[in-house]
Amino acid sequence: MYMSIKEIVEAANEKQVPIYELAIKQEMEVTKSTFDEVWAKMEKNLETMENAVKRSVEGDGVFSPTGLTGGDAVRIKKYLESGKSLSGDVMMRGVQGAIGTNEVNAAMGVICATPTAGASGTIPGVLYTIKETLQLSREDQIHFLFTSALFGMIVANNACIAGALGGCQAEVGSASAMAAAAAVEAAGGTPEQSAHAFSTALQNLLGLVCDPVAGLVEIPCVKRNAVGTANALVAADLALAGVNNLIDADEVIDAMYRVGRQMPRELRETGLGGVAETPTGIAIRNKILGKE
Amino acid sequence: MNAVTLKEKKNISYKSCFDVIGPVMIGPSSSHTAGALAIGLVANKLFKGLPKRVVVKYYESFAETHKGHGTDFAIISGILGFATDDSRVPDAIKIAESQGIDITFLEESGDSPVGHPNTADIYLEDDSRSIRTVGISVGGGLIKVKHIEIDGFSLNPQGSLPIMIAISSRNNLELELRRIFKKYEVDINNSTNLEKDGKYLYQFDLDSQLSGEARKELENLSDIANIIIL
Repeated sequence: MYMSIKEIVEAANEKQVPIYELAIKQEMEVTKSTFDEVWAKMEKNLETMENAVKRSVEGDGVFSPTGLTGGDAVRIKKYLESGKSLSGDVMMRGVQGAIGTNEVNAAMGVICATPTAGASGTIPGVLYTIKETLQLSREDQIHFLFTSALFGMIVANNACIAGALGGCQAEVGSASAMAAAAAVEAAGGTPEQSAHAFSTALQNLLGLVCDPVAGLVEIPCVKRNAVGTANALVAADLALAGVNNLIDADEVIDAMYRVGRQMPRELRETGLGGVAETPTGIAIRNKILGKE
Repeated sequence: MNAVTLKEKKNISYKSCFDVIGPVMIGPSSSHTAGALAIGLVANKLFKGLPKRVVVKYYESFAETHKGHGTDFAIISGILGFATDDSRVPDAIKIAESQGIDITFLEESGDSPVGHPNTADIYLEDDSRSIRTVGISVGGGLIKVKHIEIDGFSLNPQGSLPIMIAISSRNNLELELRRIFKKYEVDINNSTNLEKDGKYLYQFDLDSQLSGEARKELENLSDIANIIIL
């Protein structure tokens, strides 16, 4: 099994194959599955992501049982159609996909965890917009997910992907880095450029805390996915432009893990710190959970 | 009780692409909903059937946020044997109560007994038997099982699934079980044998999932052993 990003980059260069091929081959070997089985499973994940984005903009949108989040994907879609967005159509389409997915998640709808449910919008957001920009076929989109997955496994096995252990940097941070690496490959970049994009994306979100209001995956989680998507697109573009990173990706993963260990318990998915402890955050918690 | 534990191989938690891109699940949290459901499912497989009474103790992040994350209905879904993407998941508590199951959730204020912020300790019983399991949700829906109590035995596995347990009155099952793992090329990370009052428990922490054929061959031993595949 690949246990570092360095090993992935070296293997892709040595064998002259794309990273997604390394991922598919490893998956078949480790889980003793056929190509068709592995492919069908990832295709189901892609369909789940597509359905969530689609559902998020039907009618007035979807709303969580608490009413704290919902309907924003519809607002963003309308704004996007006005053609006046400051960050541009590509960026806002990604943001719409990310927020829409997390609105469905908060509404207890069906999503695909990437790598977690709280971060489930970041990767689909990137894919939803670059599939248009790069005219990706369905096959290309499944490849994108395999490449994301291989990078994600390195983070999960060497650091962590749970907010309760490492804060939001481990969730949206990891998702953003995975998406950045896969976006570079989809755009025709080299394995080294994927690693640079991964490193940049994760560095940019280092230290991000997990501070859900009332312990719910709503505020600030939904919007953090919008930023995860935007950050991934910026990091991918930087790498594709040839802007490199002196701190290599594996070292950033170690740094993320250490930062997570240094985070107090209040900032690791307990709902006891950050925006959860603002007067408004506390008021929302008391209203919903009926405490104090 | 005699215990023999052999550590056989290094443990990697996330072995599949689908541990990080997946599972397909009902929101809102992979560790607090999908992972919690997976811990409930462990209890379901250990108990084999519906209990009359369920007691769930939560620690740390689970204790603080279980209400908001739907952890309660997720754990009960697992105990009922539902899949992570089953649309009945949000209604699991109502469904369980309608079947006469008594449910208690307790928020523990101390640290997790197994040193992890997402810890759930599940106890199931009916009139004649009980099981207990302590699971941790490590992220992305993946769990580890840190403690099991069943049939008077007490186990502390390495944690990663799959774990295979056989309980039998026969003391010679180990070689047969190892033969099956070898036949289907499943590596053993760790194994433990226990004996108590003329009963034998064989526990294997496995390195990879069991194929359908391997499961079938193990389950064929059901007439001489209680076979549990977690």
